[in-house]
Amino acid sequence: MANIDVFVPSTLEEAVAFLAHHGDRAIPIAGGTDVMIDTRIGRISPEWLVDLRALSGLSGIEYDANGFRIGALTRIRSIELDQGLRQRSTALVEAARVLGSVQVRTMATIGGNLCHATPSAEMPPALLVHHGIAEIAGPDGIRSIPLGQLFVGPGHTSLEPGEILVRVTCKAANPSSASSAGSCYLRQTVRWAMDLAGVGVAASIEVDEAKVVSGAKLALSAVAPVPLEVDVVSDMLVGKELTPQLTKEVGRVAAEACSPISDVRGTAEYRRQVVAALVPRALYIAWLRATQNWPVGKLAPINGVLSEEE
Amino acid sequence: MLVELKVNGFPYRREVAPDTTLLTYLREVLELTGTKWGCLTGDCGACTVLVDGEPVVSCLQLACQVSGHEVTTVEGLDTAGELNDLQAHFVSNGASQCGFCTPGMLMSAEALLRNNPDPSEAEVREALSGNLCRCTGYNKIVDAVLETAKARAMAVSAVPDLSGSSSSVGS
Repeated sequence: MANIDVFVPSTLEEAVAFLAHHGDRAIPIAGGTDVMIDTRIGRISPEWLVDLRALSGLSGIEYDANGFRIGALTRIRSIELDQGLRQRSTALVEAARVLGSVQVRTMATIGGNLCHATPSAEMPPALLVHHGIAEIAGPDGIRSIPLGQLFVGPGHTSLEPGEILVRVTCKAANPSSASSAGSCYLRQTVRWAMDLAGVGVAASIEVDEAKVVSGAKLALSAVAPVPLEVDVVSDMLVGKELTPQLTKEVGRVAAEACSPISDVRGTAEYRRQVVAALVPRALYIAWLRATQNWPVGKLAPINGVLSEEE
Repeated sequence: MLVELKVNGFPYRREVAPDTTLLTYLREVLELTGTKWGCLTGDCGACTVLVDGEPVVSCLQLACQVSGHEVTTVEGLDTAGELNDLQAHFVSNGASQCGFCTPGMLMSAEALLRNNPDPSEAEVREALSGNLCRCTGYNKIVDAVLETAKARAMAVSAVPDLSGSSSSVGS
């Protein structure tokens, strides 16, 4: 790195003003696990790194009756180990546990994972199936957008100069109520650790008293330039009982809906087949959780292949 | 930029360039060369140290971002030149060959054992999954960590009063 200076703002307003003034000559840094590599290999060459870590109020996980809020500076490791999230959004915990290594998860933040906008990132699909809303601070104050609108393309977000992602708000069933929702994140990789997703699949299912599906969401990573929401899943599943044939059909439709590339982690055609295989498993595990047929807090196998007793 | 760190219990104050990594601060400023300079992309884990008890890859950590915090490196494990039990079990198990990954392995394993004194083999492998070793095939390293856990559990069970003892770190 060539003599990059570090600015440490003491307030969010100060950080916003500094970033707005310096444009792309200044890059926010939190955990540093992406920014430090990007600066070292010359993918970005900022004059300033703006250290957000000391900003107060941007870290932590809060719950209410409708869901949860995660501050942008919350570490991936904190998400992985949070027992409340494990009950409310198993998908998010399952996505957190496969990101990088223990060391990387200890450093990396959820805000960084989202704003780096890697198509294969783990956090976006898991948050999208929980109706994630991104809260963004900027020169004109705070604005909120559906999380999906944050992603523009590989490495590109819709954040304007001076804007900082501060929080993501999600919907999730309260575990103390008669819980009727479940979610799941599965991933295909060559290695279990320190690898990017070949394909990532997040699913959430809500059911009514008769176990009829009343809500369904599906989101994929690593198979399109941005995290991909498969909206048609709602039309295909709501009002019906989940059957193996139905989940397979959703998998087939999802495989058609995505636009993967061929790279070192797999060909486009292979990725489509993996989508078709993972989607039914993710939907089924989310459904098992929604119908209380899954041990509370137990995480699924990373590729969703269940053993006999499961 | 002034960076103040407590490293292995000793306080240091050094003026360094703002973009100095914790790895460079440790190796080149403090000359604590036990922490290894590996891939510089966070993949290999050879530079793993503990910050407030939690493992981080020091190659991706700006030193100024952890100013005021406590850092433990491999030099902080032994007592007056006597290896700690984890290091001793690495030796007795042949868990180190070329030795380049060993400091990082030790720090990841030490962080695991302080947080989880009775890990399963799967938990040990998961905790070490960010540390690459190209010599041992990992099994002897895993054995060394599991043996250390067992030995520490026996030592603890031999102590009659456990009140006030703590196995957590950095919580």
